[in-house]
Amino acid sequence: MLPNTGLIRSAQSGLRRQCLNTTIQHRGLAAAASGSFSYETGDASGVKFASRDIPGATTTLAVVARAGTRFQPYPGYSEALHKYAFKGTTRRSALRINREAELLGGQLFAYHTRENLVIGAKFLRDDLPYFTELLAEVVSQTRYTRHELEEEIVPAVQEERKKLLKDVHGMAVNSAHAIAFHRGLGEPLHQTSSVAVNKYINNEWIHDWASTAYAKSNYALVANGAQASEFSKWTKEFFSDAQIQTRQNAPSIDSTQSKYHGGEERIAHDGGNALVLAFPGSSSFTGGSWKPEIAVLASLLGGESSVKWAPGFSLLSKATEAFPGAHITTQSATYSDAGLLHVSVTGKATDVRSAGTEVVKAIKAVADGQISQEDFKKAVATARFRALETGQSTEAGILQTGAGLVHGGKAHQIDELGTSIGKVTESQLKTVAKTLLEGKATVSSVGDLNILPFAEEIGVQV
Amino acid sequence: MSYPTMAGFIMKRPWLKNWMIPVAKWYKQAAGYRQLGLRADDLIPEENETVLLALKRLPPKEAYDRIFRLRRAFQCSLAQTLLPKEQWTTPEEDRLYLSPIIKEIEAEKKEREDLDVMVPKKPATS
Repeated sequence: MLPNTGLIRSAQSGLRRQCLNTTIQHRGLAAAASGSFSYETGDASGVKFASRDIPGATTTLAVVARAGTRFQPYPGYSEALHKYAFKGTTRRSALRINREAELLGGQLFAYHTRENLVIGAKFLRDDLPYFTELLAEVVSQTRYTRHELEEEIVPAVQEERKKLLKDVHGMAVNSAHAIAFHRGLGEPLHQTSSVAVNKYINNEWIHDWASTAYAKSNYALVANGAQASEFSKWTKEFFSDAQIQTRQNAPSIDSTQSKYHGGEERIAHDGGNALVLAFPGSSSFTGGSWKPEIAVLASLLGGESSVKWAPGFSLLSKATEAFPGAHITTQSATYSDAGLLHVSVTGKATDVRSAGTEVVKAIKAVADGQISQEDFKKAVATARFRALETGQSTEAGILQTGAGLVHGGKAHQIDELGTSIGKVTESQLKTVAKTLLEGKATVSSVGDLNILPFAEEIGVQV
Repeated sequence: MSYPTMAGFIMKRPWLKNWMIPVAKWYKQAAGYRQLGLRADDLIPEENETVLLALKRLPPKEAYDRIFRLRRAFQCSLAQTLLPKEQWTTPEEDRLYLSPIIKEIEAEKKEREDLDVMVPKKPATS
């Protein structure tokens, strides 16, 4: 009575595989197969892959492509491409893909960052073959139809735009990136106007872009919670001939070395206040200019509390205790060849203004060496913890590993990262803070411009 | 909605096909829509969701041309005239531009219905 034989067949074959893999099925949760936190890497006819077998009943599998907003040829292309993930392919429809994933109890996800585009799935360990096949299909056989673009993708892109325009902090961070890196890394993560949709996005061009983004040398496959032998077997089977058709007008990837510029931008906004103060930072660990002292400086400045009901003990949370209306976070955003260390202050305009001044004072104090030994040790420990914790968490780990593979051919090994942060000395920290203050800063304020300070008023050069 | 057709039945039988094709050609010309500059797919009733969606999915140029043909045909109808002979739709121009999209949408709907009523059966795991 069921005409959709294709689904039944694939579900059955998935189940058949499950029955064959009885050894996996009977393994308890706690019994690790190898239990290593390092990734094992390999190559399947041009497709780089990495896997690590953390014990557990589920697997996370993702394709990480070097196709984030930094590399997109026109605005909005990475966003449109990530939203095309799991849409209709030449073999099955978007609906069928989703229903099948649902039947197997899996979850599909896709997102993009400034440098990478990630499409992946989380599922029960035994369904590895099915989802490997699915990702190979999505990468190589998506149809990029016009009606899917118009009916589903464009409205989604427009919603993202509305969301971004409401979010002062997001706008300030985007603006800081634009000032700091101009093009490339400076491209906004989501659109701030309809220009992209009205002028640049159309399905044929996105298809061209896909053929560049999903060229075999441009992506890596990363699995978390899969046995290396099993994973490499299925990757070879499905990804060996998962080659997206090359297209005539395919844009090339522009990977010009990022250059830091710096400057100031002020945007009037009614929905809140945000001040982002940014400095040139460190590249990712696998990138060329990795500076562990930036990570330590970020955690030394801090701002967020790691305990409840207390302002926290980092330099910035102590310095801005008097301004409870301001919320401060410090982040070291790392990319493959550059980075941005940014302190964001959000909240009440007057408090943001005063806190901004305190932030600069705190950095000056670090440059003058006025920090206690204890604070320094705490900062190193926090920085190490954060780096290791991110590496250990499944999703961030997958992103970092895939990015490492695809940008530098090297997987992200968190053990080495931890050691490198542990070696930072106080004098290194002092030097780096001094260079930051001497160079051009990036200041972006979004909100009530009457109150929000200019860069000069808080004491940094732009 | 695509219209009922015996084309599949006839096309499978070469003797019947050879016999029917001249009749079909004559019938299409005699139906009269070509003399108003229309195409066969212009005659599909559009008052249902499937066809409305298919019309939305038409490429902009096709949609524009369709409206042009319809308005020209209305004008002819009001004026109780036919188009001059050189403006009649030729058999080559009279291609299916809408029905493939309609079929695609119908297939999508059918797939959705099938998936909705499906009962997955898992074999007992060993």
